[in-house]
Formats: sequence, structure tokens, C-alpha cells
Amino acid sequence: MSDALRYALRQPGSPEIALAVPQGGVSRVHLPDPQSKARFIAAVAKARCEDGEELELLGEPVERLKPAARARLLKRVGVLSPAVTLLTNLNAWENIALAAAYHGSPSRERVAQITQEVLGAFVAEPLALLARLPDQLGTLQRRLVAFVRLLVMEPELVVIDALDEGLSREECASVARLEAQYRARHPSGTLLFVDAREEPS
Amino acid sequence: MLRALREIEGGVKLSVNALGRLGRLRRPPIRESFLRQIYFTGVTAATGVVLRASVLGVLIIAITMDVLDADVDLAVKILLLLVFREIGPLAAAVVVILRTGTAISAEVAMMRISGQTRALRHLGINLYDYIVVPRVAGVMLATMVLTFYIQFLAVLGGLLFSPLIIDATFMELSGRFFALFSPVDFVYSTIKSLLFGFTIAACCCYHGLNPPSLTQNAVPQVVTRAVTQSAMLMLGINAVFAYIVFGILFFGLVTAKV
Repeated sequence: MSDALRYALRQPGSPEIALAVPQGGVSRVHLPDPQSKARFIAAVAKARCEDGEELELLGEPVERLKPAARARLLKRVGVLSPAVTLLTNLNAWENIALAAAYHGSPSRERVAQITQEVLGAFVAEPLALLARLPDQLGTLQRRLVAFVRLLVMEPELVVIDALDEGLSREECASVARLEAQYRARHPSGTLLFVDAREEPS
Repeated sequence: MLRALREIEGGVKLSVNALGRLGRLRRPPIRESFLRQIYFTGVTAATGVVLRASVLGVLIIAITMDVLDADVDLAVKILLLLVFREIGPLAAAVVVILRTGTAISAEVAMMRISGQTRALRHLGINLYDYIVVPRVAGVMLATMVLTFYIQFLAVLGGLLFSPLIIDATFMELSGRFFALFSPVDFVYSTIKSLLFGFTIAACCCYHGLNPPSLTQNAVPQVVTRAVTQSAMLMLGINAVFAYIVFGILFFGLVTAKV
């Protein structure tokens, strides 16, 4: 089976990293420090690598990709990270439906269906949540909305960064169910959880 | 110097891209953003200018006739030249810069600083399509409509209320006004207001998308730069139009050959 993601960082002064994530499973990666994690997330999210980095996404090396091919590849990859925020002037529903409305697919009905199913599994009143602006949502609710927004685009590879950061113990347990939600919709998709090792104090 | 050249290059690139992508307004989220922009720029600003625009017309006619001892013909001519051609589009542009220009530059800068533009890129949404095109198109249209509204109120106010101050009837003033009015005045102010709206929105979007740093402290700097440059560009455009239409630039130092 081919790899969904291959990443390598070889640069003087930085810890050496070599990752290979197999296609179609759930993987967890612990990177040596927050800086390496930020570099890795940025490389995946942009499908672009900087000096000393090598990246291959869904079997395609990103180094010499043309802009159109890069855009096509990025549509197949989703990143859920604290750095990728919600749009503050749109409510939760508008945030979820924005990309689908812009690209013309999936349909509004399909987006509504996915939203209802996923949010229904986590929240008692999904409609009330969808009408709120991001500033009126809690940390977990914001992450849920971002997850649904990502799920709607049906990516083949999802990279999730620091999902449980800043959440309570109960909320962390709730967030763990996101994995099941993704697997139920994309049995052949790849899910990668990324974390950075705690720096010694 | 280098920064100024970079800003000019960036501004031109943004303007060309925005104009080339106007067709994207057909896409639902961009159309919604465009309509929202028209509402905030045009509709909400309209209520605040009613009294000021009416007073403007009255003052022009009253001052011209009373202070300059002009006849009805000259007073209406000045009302037409000043209000219709110059003050109408300028007053609308000033309102748009102060209300919308500041809001656009601060909003876009905040989007850039807080990572919302990054989120849009991850969703495969082009920043020109979602941020620049609806704002530029919306502000252009709203500035044009606001200009007509201010012109209408100022002329109506001048014609209606001036008979209370000066020795001329409403029928006399309005008769002269319609005799002197030509479609050129209308076309001139339409083109000028569209250009003002385009310049203000493009300038504010450019500065919002290119803050000096990615910290909250950059927002006031972005707003200051956007407003100052929009005002300077507006005055520059006005001078060019004055040269083209009246044949005179820099108070008569340069005269156009007809």
C-alpha cells in the first residue's frame, strides 16, 4: 500500500524528521518541538516545502507542482489546526457552507445533512449553535464547526493538529469521537493526529 | 521610495485582478458579500447625509446671490457646476472613505492578522474573489448611488429653501436649472463617482491585505495609511477630471489644448 504522506526535514540546527503515513488508516505523530510541528503543518496546508524539507502528499511530490495542480491537490487534503480559524463575520452555518457554495459542490442539502448528522452527535441543539457567530462559541464548539467545515469538503487526507489543546477532560473525551465520525464517512480516508512533545521545563 | 514603488505595483496588480474577476460576483457567497457591502456603504450612509446635503444646496445659492450679488442665472450655474460636478461626488467619496474605507481596511487587516485569510486559502477560496471583488464592486455602486442621492438632495434643498432667504421663486430657480442642465453633467459625475469608489475600495483592500506586521498594533497603521492614500488618490483623480473637462489644471498654470 502506498503512503498518504511522506515528510522529511533535514536542516542544520533543527532535529531531523522523517515521516511516512500509510494510506487509509489512523496515525499519530509526535514531532520533537512546536517549531517543527508548525513547519510541518504549514508545509501540508500549503502543499509547499521550504529549504531542507521534502513533502509528498497522496503520492505526489509537492516540490515542482504547478499552481493548478497544487490547488487540485489541496482540495484532497484537509487541515484542522488552531491556526486555521473560522471567519468571524459569518455565523457557524455560513462558515460550514462557504466553501461548498463557492466551489458549487457538494449541494446545500448535502452540506445540511452532514452538518446535522455530525453536530447532532455532539450537541443537544445544533440549530442554536449554527446561528451563532464564532466569538459566541466555546473552544470545543469552534473546533466542532471547523471539523464539520472540513468534513463537508470530503478530503482524502486529514491532518489534525493539537485537537485537545485547551479543552477540559470531558471535552477531550467528546473530541475523541470525531475520529469515528470521519471513519464512518470516509472508510478509505487517512487521518493523521499531530502533536509536539512537551519541552522540558 | 522602494516601499512607495512596491505599493504602486501591488495596488495596480490588485486593481487589475479585481476588474478581471468581476464575473465571480455570480457565485452565491460572493454575491452575498457584495450585497452586504452595498448595504453598509450605501444604505446605512444615506440617512446621515440628508440634512447636510440639503443645507449645502441652500448655502451655495444663498451665498452666491447674497454675498457675490449674483443673478438667478449665475447662482443656478454655480449650483450645477459645484454641486453636480464637484461637491456631489467629492462629498460622497468623503463619506465613503470615513465610513467604509476605515471599516474595510480594519476588517481585512484583522482577517489577515487573525489567520482568517489563511483559512480561506485552505478552503480553496481565492482571496481576490472573496475579499476584494465584492468590496470593490459594492463600494463602486454604492458611491455612485450615494453621489446621485447627495446631488439630488443638495439641488432640491437649494431650489426649495433658497426662496426663503433670497429674492427668487422656486419656479424661477428650477426653470433655470433645467435649462442649463445637460446629460454631460450626469455622465461626468457617474464616471467620477465610480472611479472614486473603485480607488477607495482597492486602496483599503490593498492596505488591509498587506499590514506592516501580523500583530494587533498594525491595524491602526493600516487604517491611517488606507484613509490618507485614498484621500490623496481621490484628489488626484479630481484634478485629472478637472483638467479633462475644464481644460485647466493647477489653477490655470496648465491649459489643455482644445
